[in-house]
Amino acid sequence: MSVAEYTSSQMMAVAMARQVKDGSTIIVGTGLPLVAASLAKNSTAPNVRLCFETGMIDGGPIEVPTSVSDMRISYNASSLWPQYYYFGFQANAYKKKTIDIGFLGGAQIDVYGNLNSTCIGDYWHPKSRFTGSGGANGIATNCNTVIMMKHQKRRFCEKLDYLTSPGWIDGPDGRKKTGLPEVGPQAVVTELGIMRFNEKTKRMYLAEYFPGITPQQIQDNTGFEMDLSKAVEAEPPSQEILDILLKKVDPQRLMV
Amino acid sequence: MSSKVMTMQEAVSKYIHDGDHIALGGFVTNKKPYAAVHEIIRQGIKDLYLEGGPGGGDTDMLIGAGCVKVLFNSYMANSGFTQVSRRFRKYVEEGKILWEDYSLDVQPMMYHAAALGLPYVAVKNMLGSSLVDKWGIPEEVYKSDPKLPAFKLKVEQNPFNPDEKVCLLPTPKIDVGIIHVQQAAPDGTCRIDGPIFLDTDVAMAATHCIVTCEQIVHPDELRTEPWRNQLPNVIPDAVVEVPHGAHPSQCTNYYDYDAMYLRMYDKVSADDELFEEFLNEWIRGTKDHKEYLDKLGASRLLELKVKNGFNYVPGLKRR
Repeated sequence: MSVAEYTSSQMMAVAMARQVKDGSTIIVGTGLPLVAASLAKNSTAPNVRLCFETGMIDGGPIEVPTSVSDMRISYNASSLWPQYYYFGFQANAYKKKTIDIGFLGGAQIDVYGNLNSTCIGDYWHPKSRFTGSGGANGIATNCNTVIMMKHQKRRFCEKLDYLTSPGWIDGPDGRKKTGLPEVGPQAVVTELGIMRFNEKTKRMYLAEYFPGITPQQIQDNTGFEMDLSKAVEAEPPSQEILDILLKKVDPQRLMV
Repeated sequence: MSSKVMTMQEAVSKYIHDGDHIALGGFVTNKKPYAAVHEIIRQGIKDLYLEGGPGGGDTDMLIGAGCVKVLFNSYMANSGFTQVSRRFRKYVEEGKILWEDYSLDVQPMMYHAAALGLPYVAVKNMLGSSLVDKWGIPEEVYKSDPKLPAFKLKVEQNPFNPDEKVCLLPTPKIDVGIIHVQQAAPDGTCRIDGPIFLDTDVAMAATHCIVTCEQIVHPDELRTEPWRNQLPNVIPDAVVEVPHGAHPSQCTNYYDYDAMYLRMYDKVSADDELFEEFLNEWIRGTKDHKEYLDKLGASRLLELKVKNGFNYVPGLKRR
């Protein structure tokens, strides 16, 4: 078998698509998560239901949508809800178990999977200002999540400049004492590997490192101490899945 | 039957004044009321308190044109074209506007509550986050500005279940809601095709409502199947016909977004001088929406016309 050639963002999209179970219901945001979700739908999870905070439910996009409001998302959709209905559906999801996973991203993450997508530096005089929460805070409040990040020391940090979306807060009872439903981050996917959260401590640990990457390299790019002892090497993407990604899901290479 | 039909100039000068609290419908690059935004800029309206559907170039343009005093924000991007709206970013980083941050779930719930006449909402969102304890608008401004509530929010025990914490947020008092729809009758009856987002809530929550539309239709057209209408005639105050009035954003059954215009906006909004030139050329330099459309040109607009069965333009040039 020949070794397929791929870029780190393509590996990332494939790794995220692997987190999607067939027949599940997932919430998707813009950018790479959208590509990963479309890839899953076009390969290993044809029956996945994609939900978007715009209220567009279970569409089957053919072309890469640029935003969660892009009409490309609503292609063949089940329904286009007014937004308040959608947010009600999301707020009830942890009670009824109607949403399996929400995809999230951010500029900073800490060891408990809390996320910052608001600003770098002081909130009132930011060095860099970003979009703000978007739907992320609500997804993090109500759903189990898979987080996509660039793996850099300054992004994987001890202390966030602003906590936009709650993860496990500060440990195993963090969410309960804060008043949040007891769901939370399940995995963090970067261009280097996949991190998960320890059942007992809720601290992030390295679960998989991508081919060509070492666990130590990942620790060197992480601003906090991470358990590397459980890490295994991830499967490289097959030529078949790369073909689906590049020929069908994103042929214009808008995202990967 | 009384007609609410007026021109864009009339609607904006009649209902929108300096210092008003306005809310825009749509969602980043879909059904944004751009024609109304352009007219607000042309009329040089200032000191607006601004919120609505997640902002894209519409909100960013108002900020960059100096129309905005306070922004109530949950998201600001022409997603896929501009990752973080650039005028917004500059104005926040340089402290040139006041802003407050929310979760994108919470704002639509606040609008829905406002549409129902409720005084506040109780949600779990935002608990445990900096959205609760870092307020963009200083406490003393909340206290002294009559256009604002007494404070941003309050975390309380649920009186019906003391074990549960909830975040209480006051519903906004919106002076004018502006939404873009596909079809409206002169009496204000509206038919929205495609996603509704929070448009009907914004329309109902506001004291006054301006509806801009792709076409004004004969009243009977919308009354043979009234169950397909999203707003009855009792809500809008003004009905303005502006074909392509959501350009460069999408409008279901009519047109796709203008990707190359959004890319152009990405470039000009990154630079003070280029942005001023853009406003002078495309917005202030056009007398009205008709001149704006003439400047875009017929072939450009025709290329954006959605294809039947898709509701977008397959293979649209996007980069």
